[in-house]
Amino acid sequence: MNADLPWRFPALLNTRAVALIAAALLLLWYTGQRVEIGRMLALSGEAVLAQAGMASRSQVADGLGSTLAELVPIQLSSRREVSRIEGFDPDRLPAFAHIETTRTRVSELDPETLRREEHVVRTAWLVEPFGYAFHVAAKMLETLEIALWGSVIAVLIGMPLALLGARNITPHPALRAGSRAASAFLRAVPELIAALFLVIAFGFGPIAGVLALGLHSAGFLGKFYADDIEDTDRRPQQALAAMGAGRLTIWGNAILPQVLPQHIACTLYTFDRNVRMGSVIGLVGAGGIGQELKGRFDLYEYGHVGTILIAIFLVILTLDLVASRARQAWR
Amino acid sequence: MIDIGIADLCVRHDGAGRALADVTLYIPAGQFCAVLGASGAGKSTLLRTVAGLVAPGEGRLLFDGTPLRPAQRRRIGLIPQDFALSGRASVARNIMAVADIGLARSFAGLYPDAERARATHLLAHLGLDETHLARRADSLSGGQQQRVAIARALLHRPAVILADEPVASLDPATGERALALIRNEARNLGATVICSLHQPALARRFADRIVMLDAGRVVFDGAPAMLDGNGIPPRIRAVAR
Repeated sequence: MNADLPWRFPALLNTRAVALIAAALLLLWYTGQRVEIGRMLALSGEAVLAQAGMASRSQVADGLGSTLAELVPIQLSSRREVSRIEGFDPDRLPAFAHIETTRTRVSELDPETLRREEHVVRTAWLVEPFGYAFHVAAKMLETLEIALWGSVIAVLIGMPLALLGARNITPHPALRAGSRAASAFLRAVPELIAALFLVIAFGFGPIAGVLALGLHSAGFLGKFYADDIEDTDRRPQQALAAMGAGRLTIWGNAILPQVLPQHIACTLYTFDRNVRMGSVIGLVGAGGIGQELKGRFDLYEYGHVGTILIAIFLVILTLDLVASRARQAWR
Repeated sequence: MIDIGIADLCVRHDGAGRALADVTLYIPAGQFCAVLGASGAGKSTLLRTVAGLVAPGEGRLLFDGTPLRPAQRRRIGLIPQDFALSGRASVARNIMAVADIGLARSFAGLYPDAERARATHLLAHLGLDETHLARRADSLSGGQQQRVAIARALLHRPAVILADEPVASLDPATGERALALIRNEARNLGATVICSLHQPALARRFADRIVMLDAGRVVFDGAPAMLDGNGIPPRIRAVAR
């Protein structure tokens, strides 16, 4: 060997890496054809050009524009006929509410004279300027409660699955395989499908929602927690194991302190996701804001739909800020 | 009291040559055996193998005449070269991790008085104080972490102390204090010590016996005074100086 020659330094992009990248690009090209990525880009580009005044028409821009235009103005107030409100007390109106009276000219056939007679009907309405906003807030709160309990169930199921499913602490490889399979099964059943079955079993309402979210996200947490545990620094675990510490002691003292920030981040993300999915599973009757959303959508009340979408957005944004603070605190 | 028998021990690392080759040693119970050698000589591999962290390719490893039993592990105190502390956990939790108490008590910080007294004694001897207990291990300096690792290894009154360069990150005075603590604790407990060191002077001062490794083989095995005797090859004499 010639000592004057410099050593060969390994390159980041070797033949194997280039072959893998080429294979990945080929796969993307093939699947892109099947899911019409080219058409998607063409239509989106057309919409952008139409918005910029550089194209005359765009199917996408027209469709989206007309739908979005119907979402505003959003609906904040509510108006209910007083005669239909049970136990209505005009002296104890809700905050900011007032009574409105409408007069309607009604034409009726008099059965005795068989002549058409006209008279005026007075109808009293209870108008609450923020009535619908409060109603949406209450439904959103129910969604948050469903998401919270779904997340609690997910943690309670996901943590044991992770302890059995992590290679470095599982008592037996067969238990690891079983736990990983159970996590994969729970993830494979989408919340919406689980909710459909659970609504049949438990009836309409939040129970089906809580269980659908809890079981599905338990599959995610079981996997994420286990992956976090497997990725930990083995040295503290090995040191404790060498000194005779048991599995639980190793988990509590050498693993948990390492994975706690990731576990918290995963759990907060699961809660965030459950809030969003909690808005969807209501579509099949599993409680929460989704039920309200579907009802208003089916009645073409897009102003109400706009209010609901804004409420969901505000809650997700708030949760994101809270989660960010929590992650910083546990870093 | 546990003696350690190592017979024809060979360890091979993946993709590398033999880290240990035909190492045969008998370390009587209560003996302080220092292991010297240049970097890469096999000192850490020997300690990690005795601790059960590396599987020996060939040879036998006996504790009190039998292969290491799970129950005997509770009688080992290990000071890893890289400290192996749980960085995000407090110093208290790191040390008490080897105390034989339940997880719930450990989480609640309800440590038995005897363990608290022993931890206080060890940490104070190592120059740490009460303010360090609540600090995260990864917020400590390398030397402080090394001292925490020493305290953790001694807390449960081990019968075998395996110390892999336990004073590498310490200044000379603190290093001497730490080695003195290990030796005194070992004497009080009757513990057998295998301690790898880079400082021959410390080995001569604290060890009952010195084993020198070179390329995974034992090239010297004897009392410290023997290093100064006639017939010692110059290469070994240079390492031991």
